[in-house]
Amino acid sequence: MRLSEVQKRFKDTMLDHPKVLDDPPTDFAALFESGDIPLPVRLKVYRNNIVGSLTDVMINSHPLLEKLVGRDFLEMMSRHFVLENPPTQGCLSFYGATFDSFIENYELAKAMPYLPDIARLEIAMNEAYHAPDDEPLTAKNLAAAPPENLKLELRKSIRLISSKYPLSDIRDFCMEDDPAKTMNIDTGGVKLMIYRPALDSVIVKLDEAEYAMLEALGHETALEEALEQTLEKHESFDFQGFLQRHVALETFSAPQANI
Amino acid sequence: MSEIPSDITKVQSYPPASKPIDPVGIGLRHPYYREVTESPPAVGWLEVHPENYFGGGAHRHFLSKAREKYQISLHAVGLSLGSAEPVSEDHLRRFKELIDIYQPFNVSDHASWSASGNAHLNDLLPLPYTQETLDTLCRNISQTQDYFGRTILVENPSTYVAFANNEMTEYEFMNRAAQKTGCGLLLDINNIFVQSHNHGFDPFEYIDGINAGKVGEIHLAGHIEKEAESGIILVDTHSRPVKKDVWDLYEHAVRRLGPVPTLIEWDQDFPPLSKLVEEAAKARQIIKKVTSESIANAAE
Repeated sequence: MRLSEVQKRFKDTMLDHPKVLDDPPTDFAALFESGDIPLPVRLKVYRNNIVGSLTDVMINSHPLLEKLVGRDFLEMMSRHFVLENPPTQGCLSFYGATFDSFIENYELAKAMPYLPDIARLEIAMNEAYHAPDDEPLTAKNLAAAPPENLKLELRKSIRLISSKYPLSDIRDFCMEDDPAKTMNIDTGGVKLMIYRPALDSVIVKLDEAEYAMLEALGHETALEEALEQTLEKHESFDFQGFLQRHVALETFSAPQANI
Repeated sequence: MSEIPSDITKVQSYPPASKPIDPVGIGLRHPYYREVTESPPAVGWLEVHPENYFGGGAHRHFLSKAREKYQISLHAVGLSLGSAEPVSEDHLRRFKELIDIYQPFNVSDHASWSASGNAHLNDLLPLPYTQETLDTLCRNISQTQDYFGRTILVENPSTYVAFANNEMTEYEFMNRAAQKTGCGLLLDINNIFVQSHNHGFDPFEYIDGINAGKVGEIHLAGHIEKEAESGIILVDTHSRPVKKDVWDLYEHAVRRLGPVPTLIEWDQDFPPLSKLVEEAAKARQIIKKVTSESIANAAE
């Protein structure tokens, strides 16, 4: 068997139903030396390493889901995700970016329709944490730039989330760690910006207009056009106030082209 | 004129690497970031997995601080050098960026595979030791070395299955890869021990068979024993202190290879940092003992 075929068979076996390892097909088993330790035991070491390490990656990046559904449920859901969506690259920092849509279709999670948005929040927190380094646009940069050349680009860590659930309240609720406490999740949605101004990811609540403006800027819409689009829907949008607040938050990046 | 910030991306390049004076290093992992950078332990160098530093933020922040005090070795787990397909250009590009910034004294990965088709399985998977595999591995090592503009070290893996169609021993396979591509070898003593148990061979013979001039780094780690109905299988977990048998094998390796830079690896169930420093001291003690014996022998 050619090396490429051996590797494909090995990969497929690892991602297959665990029962396949108990009784591997004869032509696959014939690839290996037989010894005192039976082949299923040997193959399971690999399966445990692969599925176990990837499941751990998912669990570790979803502490809020763990609080909401418990460790066992998250582990089961993560394992199913891993088997259906193995990583496509050797760097795992951004692995699991489609966990939210996986949960949307996960039969056992359908009774908790807010879970995908919680996953979305945690994916954003994780991506912001690992985003490439960049420098913020400062008030000093801004003062020095001729207004007609002003370009506002979002920092590489910025993620925007719009949810019909009160995500930041759910997060606070999870962090409180009081098992006796309950919360009403139908208190209205939120618009959030997640980013990494220094070393940790931070959540900022946004109003409708600033969310619309940041979303437009995130799509690389020219400043003037983004402003027009925002004003169309939010007549009272205060651009100067927005600019001041987000320069202070360090929302925008300072590429050389800005200045 | 408007002001142009001079240090936009915070990319700093460090002075070129030199071989560490103290040959024993430890792995820098997330739980040790603050302690290592705030009160640097008495170890000769640090090792990191480059894949954890492809992004920015805290990881790079602490690696940069650590690099100011230590030489580093970039030990990859994601190149998948043994895959039938070529190495990912994207992986090479991000890896090289780290090499250019951090100037490691060693760059390495494994004689194993992880990627097949569109899946990357995040484990060091076993290879059949055949001519076809050797050609494939050598092609990927050469692709990597050409891209980096430097030689890399390739490490012997821990394996739990052996292929029935092996045409050579693992050490012959490693020697041939080194000879053909000019790469160096990274000898993991624990992996040799684990495999000698799992596959039934003499680990001392393995060390005696390896091309000594090619070994640029040694790794030491702990393993666990997993009981199966018909015996015990050893699993390389990097979660325990180095076992006595592995220390003995290490002493044998140092006699043969000299004071090669040696790493204490620990990747899960992290103990206090002082435990790693203690393990490093044991390795240093063995190097000292062997070196002074050979000086005494030479003087006789």
